Amino acid sequence: MSFSEKINNGKFIITAEVAPPRGTYYQTIIEGIKPLKGYVDGFNVTDNQRSMVRASSIAMSRVLLENGFEPICQFTARDRNRIALQSDLLGAYILGIKNICLMTGDFTTLGDEKGAKPVFDVDSLLMLKIVKTLEEGHLINGKELKGKPSFNVGAVFNPFAGPEKLQIEKLRKKVELGAKFIQTQPVYDIETAKRTHEIIKETGAIPIIGLLPIKSLKMANFIKKLNPKSVPDKFIEKLASAKDPHTYGWEYTLEIAHGIAEFGRGIHFMLVGKTYELAKFIDYLKNESPYNHKF
Amino acid sequence: MVVVELKPFNEILKLISPYKKVTVLGCEIGSGRCMQGGLREAKEIAQFLENNGKEITEVLTIGGTCLIEKVRKLEFKETDVIISLACGAGTQVVAEETEIPVVTGVSTLFIGADCHREVFYEYCIACGDCIISETAGICPIARCPKSLKNSPCGGAINGMCEVNNDTECVWFTIERKLKKLKQPFRIGEPTFIDFSRSNHPRRFKNEL
Ligand code: SF4
Ligand code: SF4
Repeated sequence: MSFSEKINNGKFIITAEVAPPRGTYYQTIIEGIKPLKGYVDGFNVTDNQRSMVRASSIAMSRVLLENGFEPICQFTARDRNRIALQSDLLGAYILGIKNICLMTGDFTTLGDEKGAKPVFDVDSLLMLKIVKTLEEGHLINGKELKGKPSFNVGAVFNPFAGPEKLQIEKLRKKVELGAKFIQTQPVYDIETAKRTHEIIKETGAIPIIGLLPIKSLKMANFIKKLNPKSVPDKFIEKLASAKDPHTYGWEYTLEIAHGIAEFGRGIHFMLVGKTYELAKFIDYLKNESPYNHKF
Repeated sequence: MVVVELKPFNEILKLISPYKKVTVLGCEIGSGRCMQGGLREAKEIAQFLENNGKEITEVLTIGGTCLIEKVRKLEFKETDVIISLACGAGTQVVAEETEIPVVTGVSTLFIGADCHREVFYEYCIACGDCIISETAGICPIARCPKSLKNSPCGGAINGMCEVNNDTECVWFTIERKLKKLKQPFRIGEPTFIDFSRSNHPRRFKNEL
């Protein structure tokens, strides 16, 4: 079953993240995710994440397709004005890319090309509006298209951003504008996962809860600094006293994943490495866990 | 007001290295107000240049340097170069109206609000289609680094902007103010900013 079929049929969804290469050599990346073939439903191909240059997400998505993986191509508003965005969306569709995930994007100065001119001609809501317009058969200026795309559209939600009321209202708007699935920033405890799931479910979209395994105390503190409410103190304490923080962080993540499988609709693993272990865990969820009927 | 920043005196000295006789022209509107290029700073620069072997012809100010009729009335004494401390607009008016070479002693930063002459905040980027009546009089086009007009991004950390962690996310500021005004804010149909209105160079004509 394809990613979009799973979305439409109410199945449990597992996505993972893959970053295009910084360079032209993509083969190792494809090799790296091979263990996840048949386990992960869609791979989010990041679009110059954290404002650092990498190969284009559209090209990498195409390579994934050719290698039998299902890509979810990310598009940020940071680097594209409305001309480039419409053009890239049409181009991606021509290349067979059906799943897209739209977001505003990190600011330029947070990356490694600090002097770049940030575009931000449109925001995530307008990106969704653009997709909707293209799907209706015309450009946003009203000109008719020769052949129209039809995407499986997703958007993102950060449970730790604010102001809360505005964020939730914005989320609602995103769904109204056509976002079918919502992938979230990583959460670090089951209560947040549950609450986030409910907020998204309420809008009518499919919640796919983000998880980012923590590998070290340093990483935990870094994420906590970015989002002070995200990583629970209890977890940090345990991580600090763990013999092998890497393994502890991984097990902790799996525990949350397990919990999400119980009540949720999907998990988005923002992981690097650990592909064999992840495949094993997904195998367990799908075949042996008490929730295997959901997959 | 236009906020400017004085260049380091050494840099100014380098800029005028081919010249001997120097006129320093301050501006009292923006530059003077932010204490980066009024008469006082003009005198300081003159003193510095004199100490470094230059001959000061004149140190003066005419108030607002971007007012063409005032600049036209100016008669410079014989000089090799004019150092203008006005913003980019004022300095260009001076350069246009004289045959003497003009260099700038400041960098123009932004249109800002003046808080007790101590801090200056960028409040407007002259987008050409003011929307702040809908956002409690607070401008998200200028005060959000991403110019997000329809809603906040998902990046605010503890209410602070993801880009500048010492600045409140403008959407928090807007929300707080709306609450105080007891005005509800609804995210309506998202609209595009019409950037054609801020394409430069712009012109504005008064029907006199
Ligand atoms: S909306 Fe435009 S004109 Fe109004 S304050 Fe903001 S930038 Fe200036
Ligand atoms: S955190 Fe707020 S002010 Fe900063 S970029 Fe996002 S929306 Fe704009």
